[in-house]
Amino acid sequence: MKNFLEYLGFEPERYHTAWISGSEGQKFADVVTRVVEDVRQVGPSRKMRDAR
Amino acid sequence: MSELTARVREIAKRLLDNQQVDVVFGWEKGTEPFSSTPVFIRRPEEAERLVFDEFCIHNLSTYLLDYRDGSEKIGIFVKGCDSRGVVRLLEDEQFTRERLYIIGIGCPGMKDPVAHALAASGLDGNQDTAGLSAKCRQCVHPNPVLYDELLGVQQEPHLRGERFAEVKQIEAMSTAERYQFFADIFSRCIRCYACRNICVACNCRRCIFEETRPQWVGRETNLADNMMYHVIRTMHVAGRCVECGECERACPVGIPLMLLNRKLIKDVNQLFGPYEAALSLEEGAKPPLSRYRTDDPDNFL
Repeated sequence: MKNFLEYLGFEPERYHTAWISGSEGQKFADVVTRVVEDVRQVGPSRKMRDAR
Repeated sequence: MSELTARVREIAKRLLDNQQVDVVFGWEKGTEPFSSTPVFIRRPEEAERLVFDEFCIHNLSTYLLDYRDGSEKIGIFVKGCDSRGVVRLLEDEQFTRERLYIIGIGCPGMKDPVAHALAASGLDGNQDTAGLSAKCRQCVHPNPVLYDELLGVQQEPHLRGERFAEVKQIEAMSTAERYQFFADIFSRCIRCYACRNICVACNCRRCIFEETRPQWVGRETNLADNMMYHVIRTMHVAGRCVECGECERACPVGIPLMLLNRKLIKDVNQLFGPYEAALSLEEGAKPPLSRYRTDDPDNFL
């Protein structure tokens, strides 16, 4: 999916998947922090929005 | 009448005569010399309608879906791609082998009826009418992979050059270029769903695009919803596409759907190991994305 979105011209930073168990609170926090950092770097997405 | 057409008629007549099957799927001559269309015959005397020529481009396996709830026995003529479509349906448990009598034909490649129609109309004389149709030029498996009876001669792959060349070309572009490239293409989509309807791998009884509660994808034909549609359609046939190229052929606005399907075929090959969908029928065999293993790669998500 990530590869495919990248192929269609979406920035790979915007799409994340991770396996996190209900007991892995710290892992969840780490992943979310990383997602936010990555998305901040590429800035707001206009693709799929302005396209409407 | 060609020798193959004669053989096709003879076999259909035999199957219907001795009541081995209730209906035979084949092709008949259309309204123009350059069109052959699917036909379903039930009486032995109708066998005379059948033909096999260079315009039998339709993949007949899709039509089996119309019969999946019945118990009728079906005789079906298959080219290489049609036979992979049949394996697709058997593997997806949409049909049972016992209901089918499969007659394979080594496929020399089909010609493009639209190009011939344009050339004949005089509207566009620059059509390539000598070569094979676009979908057949990409063909790697022209010989039937599953059959009870085989006609014609063993064929070599029709593909010249590298299978993923076009996909690689796009991969080499920048993110912005790729987005522009696909945005241009998807803005042409009229959301007629022909690509889904003609697809043998699209065999869900209830399609996500028809769900209304919740409505996953907007029905409007705007770029965002069109993109969403194409992302979902492609992902849903990932690892199951038999590369018959019917989606692209059926598209009225020339969307290169195989460019999407082939990207996922390439990815599945890379991530899950070499895999060719529906090449043989094995008990319990499932495509890579239809099974679960603890060592499945995360990247495909």
